[in-house]
Amino acid sequence: MMRRRHRAAGKAGLAILVAVILLWTLFPVYWMVSTSLKSPTAVFYNPPELFPAEPTAENYGKLAGGTVGFTPISRFFANSSIVSGVTIVVAVLLALFASYGLSRFSFRLKRPVLVGVLISQMFPLVVMLTPLYILYIHTGMINTYRGLVIAFTGFTLPFCIWMLKSFMDTIPRELDEAAIIEGCSRLGVLRRVVLPLLAPGLAATGIFAFLDAWNNLLFPMSLTTDVSMKTLPPGMILAFGGEFKHDWGGMMAASVLVALPVVAVMVFLQKYLVSGLTAGSVKD
Amino acid sequence: MLHVLAGGHVSGNSYRIDKNNRLASILLAPAVVVVGFVSLYPLAYSGYLSLFNYRLTRLDEMGFDPTANIGKLLADSLFAKSLGNTLVVTAFTVGIGLVLGMVFALVLDQLTERFEKLRGILIMPWVIPGIVVGYLFMYIFDGNVGVANYLLQTMGFIDAKIPWLMRGDTAMAAIIVANVWNQTPFYTLMFAAALKGIPVSVKEAAYVEGASRASEFFRVTLPQIKTVVVITSLLEIIRNFNNFPIIFTMTGGGPAHETLTSVLYIYKVAFDQYDMGYASFIGVIWVAILMGLAILYIRLLNPKEARS
Repeated sequence: MMRRRHRAAGKAGLAILVAVILLWTLFPVYWMVSTSLKSPTAVFYNPPELFPAEPTAENYGKLAGGTVGFTPISRFFANSSIVSGVTIVVAVLLALFASYGLSRFSFRLKRPVLVGVLISQMFPLVVMLTPLYILYIHTGMINTYRGLVIAFTGFTLPFCIWMLKSFMDTIPRELDEAAIIEGCSRLGVLRRVVLPLLAPGLAATGIFAFLDAWNNLLFPMSLTTDVSMKTLPPGMILAFGGEFKHDWGGMMAASVLVALPVVAVMVFLQKYLVSGLTAGSVKD
Repeated sequence: MLHVLAGGHVSGNSYRIDKNNRLASILLAPAVVVVGFVSLYPLAYSGYLSLFNYRLTRLDEMGFDPTANIGKLLADSLFAKSLGNTLVVTAFTVGIGLVLGMVFALVLDQLTERFEKLRGILIMPWVIPGIVVGYLFMYIFDGNVGVANYLLQTMGFIDAKIPWLMRGDTAMAAIIVANVWNQTPFYTLMFAAALKGIPVSVKEAAYVEGASRASEFFRVTLPQIKTVVVITSLLEIIRNFNNFPIIFTMTGGGPAHETLTSVLYIYKVAFDQYDMGYASFIGVIWVAILMGLAILYIRLLNPKEARS
C-alpha cells in the first residue's frame, strides 16, 4: 500500500482517522483515570472538569484502608491474585498435555473430543451455575480457593487447548521423528523437542487463562458465599452496590486498580496474545 | 489447515502420528475430567433439573413434573421479551462492531511500521474486565454527572440532559455503545491479521487495473478475507448471547425489563426467584439455541465436513 501513503490529502485524511480512533479508544480510559483522581466534591462539578484541577490520591487511600463488612478490600486483590495465578499454572499444564495428545496422536474418539472442545467454549456460564452450586455444596468446595481454581480452569481450558494445539501443529513432525529415531520416548519428545519451541504458545495460553480468571464475575459471585473469599469483580459489586453507588471517584479508582494488571499484561505481552487469539479463533 | 477435524492424516511414516491409545488417553484425561466436572456434568444436571418442579421457596411442592415448566413457559411473556432484547443487543453490537473493526483494521493496514505500537493501545478496551466496562459506562451515561450528556450538549446534539439508563431505548443504546467499545478491538485484530495475509500480487493487480478504493475493497479485499469475517462475526454473536457482566452492572436488566437479556433472565429466575427447575428449563432451551450456532461455527471452520 506504499503507493497511497505519499499523497498529501490521503495522508491528512489518514491522520484524522487515526486521531478519531485513538480518541474513541482512549477517552473512556482517560475518563476513568481522571475521575479516580478527583475529590468527592469535584466529581459532581457541573460542567465536569475535563482535567482535574486539584488531583488527589484520596480515593486510592480510601480503598487501601477500605472494608466491606469486616473484609478489607485488599483481601479481594489477594484472592484474585492467588486464584488467577494458580489457574494459569493448572490450565497451561493441562492444556499442554491435552493439546499434545490431540496434535500428535491418532485415536478412536479424537473427532468427538475435538468437537467437544470447540462446543464447550460456547456453553453459557449462567446455565452451569445452579448445578455447580449444588455440586460444590455436596463436595465442600464452596468458599475455597480450590473450588474457584477448578471452576476457572474448566471454563478456560477448552479455548486454551484449542489455541495451544494450533501452535503445536505448526511445529514440524519431522523433529519428533528424528528424536524418536535417536531413542527419545513420546513424553521425551514433548519435553525436549516440543516444549522449547512452544514458548510463544504457552505465553499466549497463560495470558488467556489469566484474563479469563481475573475477569470472571459469575463463578465467584455464586460459588463463594463468604465475603472474605470473594475475588475482585464480585467484591466490587459488594463495595459499590447499594449505598455507595454514587461514590464515582472511589468506583473509578477501584476500576483502575482492577484493570491495571490486565492492561499491564497486555502492554508487555500483546504480541503473544494477538498471535494466540487469531490462531485459536479462525484456524483449526 | 482446514482438515484437522477429519483426522489429520499424515501418510507414510508411523513415527509422526502415534496410535498409542493408552498414552493419548492419559494425556487427555485430566483436561476431560476438569471440563466434565465444570461444564458437561452441570449441563447434563440442568437438563435433569428442568424436568422438576423445584423452587427453593416451596420445597414442599418439589417433585418430578415435566409439564410444570412447559406450562410456565407458555404463560411467561418475559422469556420471549428477553429473547427479543438479546437479539437487539447482539444485532446492533455485532453490526456496529464489525464495521468499526473493519475500518480500524484498514487504517492499521496503512500504517505498517507503527502498527505494533498502535495495536497495543487499540486492544486495551478488549482486555478490561466486563465489570469495569459496565461501571465506567454507567458513570459516563449517568443522567446527572455523566460526561456523555455534557459532550453531546456542548457539541449541540441534544438540548437537555438525557437520563440514559432510566429509559428503555436509551438504556439499550448506552449498553450497545459500551459493548461496541469493549468488543471492537477483537474484530480489529482478526481483520488486521487477515488483511496481512492477502498476497501482494492480488493488491497490485487491482491497482494496475485502476480500481477505485471502494471497488478494490468490495471486489478484491473483502472476498479474500470473507471467511475470517464470517467466523469472527459468528463467534461474537455467540459471545454476545452469553454476555453478562456489562448489562448486569449497567442496568441489571432494567428499567422495567427493557434491557433484560436471556442470560440475565435465567440468572434472575434462579438467584432472585429461586425457581431452580424453571431456570434450568429455559437454560436448556438457551443451550439448544447456542448449540445450533456452535454447529454452524464448526461447519464454517471445516468446509469439507459441511459438504459430506
